[in-house]
Amino acid sequence: MRADRGIRARITAPVRAGGSPASVVAALSARKAVRSGVLWGYIFGVAIASSEITYGRLYKTAAQRDALAATYGTSKAMSALFGPAPQLQTVSGFTVFKISMTLMILGAAWGLLTSTRLLRGEEDSGRWDLLLCGQTTRQRATAQVIAGLGVGLVTLWAVTAIITVLSGRPSSVGIGVGPSLYFSVGMVATAAMFLAVGAVTSQLAATRRLAATLAAEFLGVSYGVRLIADAGMGLHGLIWVSPLGWVEELRPLTSPQPLALLPIVAFTAVLAVVAVRLAGARDAGASILAGRDRGDAHLRLLYGPSGLAIRLLRATVIGWWVAIGLSAFLYGLIAKSTGATISGSVKEVFSKLGATGSGADAVFGVCFLIEAILIGFVAAGQVTAARSEESESMLENFVVRPVSRSAWLGGRLVVALVALVLSGVAAGVVGWLGAASQHTGMSFTSLLGAGVNLVPPAVVILGIGVLTFGTRPRATSIVVYAVLGWSLLIVIVGGFGTVGHWVLDTSVFHHMASAPGVPPNWEANGIMIGIGLAAALIGGLAFRRRDLQGA
Amino acid sequence: MHTSDTALRTEGLSKRFGDIVALDHLDLEVTRGEVVGYLGPNGAGKTTTIRLLLGLSRPTEGRAEIFGLDCQRQPVETHRRLAFVAGDANLWPSLTGAETLALLSRVHGQVDEAYRDALIERFDLDPTKKVRAYSKGNHQKVILIAALMVRPDLLVLDEPTSGLDPLMEQAFRHCVHEAKDRGQTVFLSSHIMSEVEALCDRVGILRDGRLVEMGTLAEMRHLSALTVEARFARTVPDLSVVPGVSAVEANGSMVRCQVRGSIEPLVKVLASAGVTELLSREPSLEELFLAQYGADCRAG
Repeated sequence: MRADRGIRARITAPVRAGGSPASVVAALSARKAVRSGVLWGYIFGVAIASSEITYGRLYKTAAQRDALAATYGTSKAMSALFGPAPQLQTVSGFTVFKISMTLMILGAAWGLLTSTRLLRGEEDSGRWDLLLCGQTTRQRATAQVIAGLGVGLVTLWAVTAIITVLSGRPSSVGIGVGPSLYFSVGMVATAAMFLAVGAVTSQLAATRRLAATLAAEFLGVSYGVRLIADAGMGLHGLIWVSPLGWVEELRPLTSPQPLALLPIVAFTAVLAVVAVRLAGARDAGASILAGRDRGDAHLRLLYGPSGLAIRLLRATVIGWWVAIGLSAFLYGLIAKSTGATISGSVKEVFSKLGATGSGADAVFGVCFLIEAILIGFVAAGQVTAARSEESESMLENFVVRPVSRSAWLGGRLVVALVALVLSGVAAGVVGWLGAASQHTGMSFTSLLGAGVNLVPPAVVILGIGVLTFGTRPRATSIVVYAVLGWSLLIVIVGGFGTVGHWVLDTSVFHHMASAPGVPPNWEANGIMIGIGLAAALIGGLAFRRRDLQGA
Repeated sequence: MHTSDTALRTEGLSKRFGDIVALDHLDLEVTRGEVVGYLGPNGAGKTTTIRLLLGLSRPTEGRAEIFGLDCQRQPVETHRRLAFVAGDANLWPSLTGAETLALLSRVHGQVDEAYRDALIERFDLDPTKKVRAYSKGNHQKVILIAALMVRPDLLVLDEPTSGLDPLMEQAFRHCVHEAKDRGQTVFLSSHIMSEVEALCDRVGILRDGRLVEMGTLAEMRHLSALTVEARFARTVPDLSVVPGVSAVEANGSMVRCQVRGSIEPLVKVLASAGVTELLSREPSLEELFLAQYGADCRAG
């Protein structure tokens, strides 16, 4: 009673809390988006700067630069993979060609992951309900999050732009402030569009995972359409159907076409408005594509943790398989025609990417690098799903029953490995179907082997993920996507010969032979699988000995 | 020393999080068939104790056994004999109630299907609904049914009635009584004193990670005073001088006071002073609990 009186004595009239109710959600979202915007802006800027600075060192004479332009500028294969390559005699043209497609894809991935995390992810966690209890509505709160994401986007652009402007100043580079700023706009344009795509899929899907998957599938389709448009098959008009194509049409640093900003801005704005409208049209916690709230019991897979994992993750994994199969089929379609355009210098670049063959084999060898990256995403998704099960306290439902932690994690690992192997098989088989439809003459066993060859790097990513999960569970997602992003950046930059061998070795994809351009290196594959499984084993042992940890 | 009658036993069980001592050398023993309440304010160490018993966390020191099995070294064997209900457990939103119960019974390895159906009826649960469509209370019903339907030897309950309405709380109490009648052991952590008072044979009180009291309600009465109210036909006597009496409040011919220890001196004084009405009341568990923690407030 006395203590109670003491509390009463301290109570005063409520005072106005800091910040306006109209902007508190935006400020909260902005704080989170700005953090990752700074990090990724730094990565973008450094990647651009490294490309600009190394050009002069690599191609010192006019003859070397002309040779570079003559080969890349006419290669349909390179154009399909990385976009057109005009003005390769200049540092500007080289930089755009070398780095822009990678940054466009990374920017899109950043956009969709950040957006779905701060919208559907917050809703999944229940924190969204707390915010909606304040002086706001579902629509206003969604609009505020989108505004916060906009602040994150501006931060991404600002950090990228500062580094790009600074790296463009030396006379050896000689790129002005205006072109640098415009180039930076181009490099974050996909981030803007996929922030909006993620905002819409967050309204459509019932979970963050599904929202991110839908957005990633849209990215895959966009890349595939752009690839066809740039593959020299007489379908260049398709470039205006793909958001990635619009960014390509900005043509920064070479022949700027600012009008291409119009579809980018319009697409982003329309999707943002659609997201806000959809948020107002549904209940908090519900989704536009939500299934029924009732259903008959389907018990076939519900025999234990592994069966449940298959049931819960199958939609996501099948989505990845569709993306992998579709892109492999496209590679099969273009392999013959693009292989015919490969000349000496392109062979050299392909060789740096690991594909020392020529013709359709070499095209497949390089294109399958992208398949390996997609399979890497499948591996990363499996580990982060396991961590989510722990952080959301669902794992406790199993381990307070007669299920050991080892059995749970081992089951998840087996499910993940099967998903990875089937991903590789799908890439090989469907790639062969595409190639066969064009009478490319490639053997089924060769492409099946090339598909299986994609699996070991993903096993390494899986193993590193499990090791992190066992030792530093809260860092699992960051570490696994950092390994994937780093490996992607290094192997693509390395393809242009600007990175030392010891740096290249840090990319898991560098150790994968570019089959079928060259035969699979089963010894290296065995070592990668060994490393992956050993890391997973150590992670599993550590997991057995640690406390379960929430988010 | 473990005996065949011991369901749960801890010995010097401790858990630190950095500099924070969440549980400090807990020695606890629960006999088979007992219903034991486990009380303490937020942060006292109740959930930490339960997580250590379930092997979800590793102890810094000490050990815990359930039916003679080491909770850390033999978690699977231990869990085969128990079921756990958390007040804040998460379930899979896309599964229906029926699918969730089927999954959890398969994982446990045993289920009394007739009892499960009876529980679904008793708790008025619609099992065809998906978990994401359940209210907080219905969500909790699924978790309760999942634990009760396997008829475990030990029920470990951490705020089990969180979100349940009073009718469902009664249904829960009925289930605990049934479990006790069948010889099951129940370890109940709760903030609802009336629930603990109604269900538990013994009660433990935890403070700052230490078990400060453990016993039956009768044994714990000494923690708080007996409240006595008396009405007099004549002048109200001065009771403040009577040994063991305190907090005397007079209001006309009525007087209220508290008595610690023997009530005999007070009864003698009241009889000689011409008492016409006499009412005495033992402290409730809530009063016992507040008395335990009130000492801190007074000291502060």
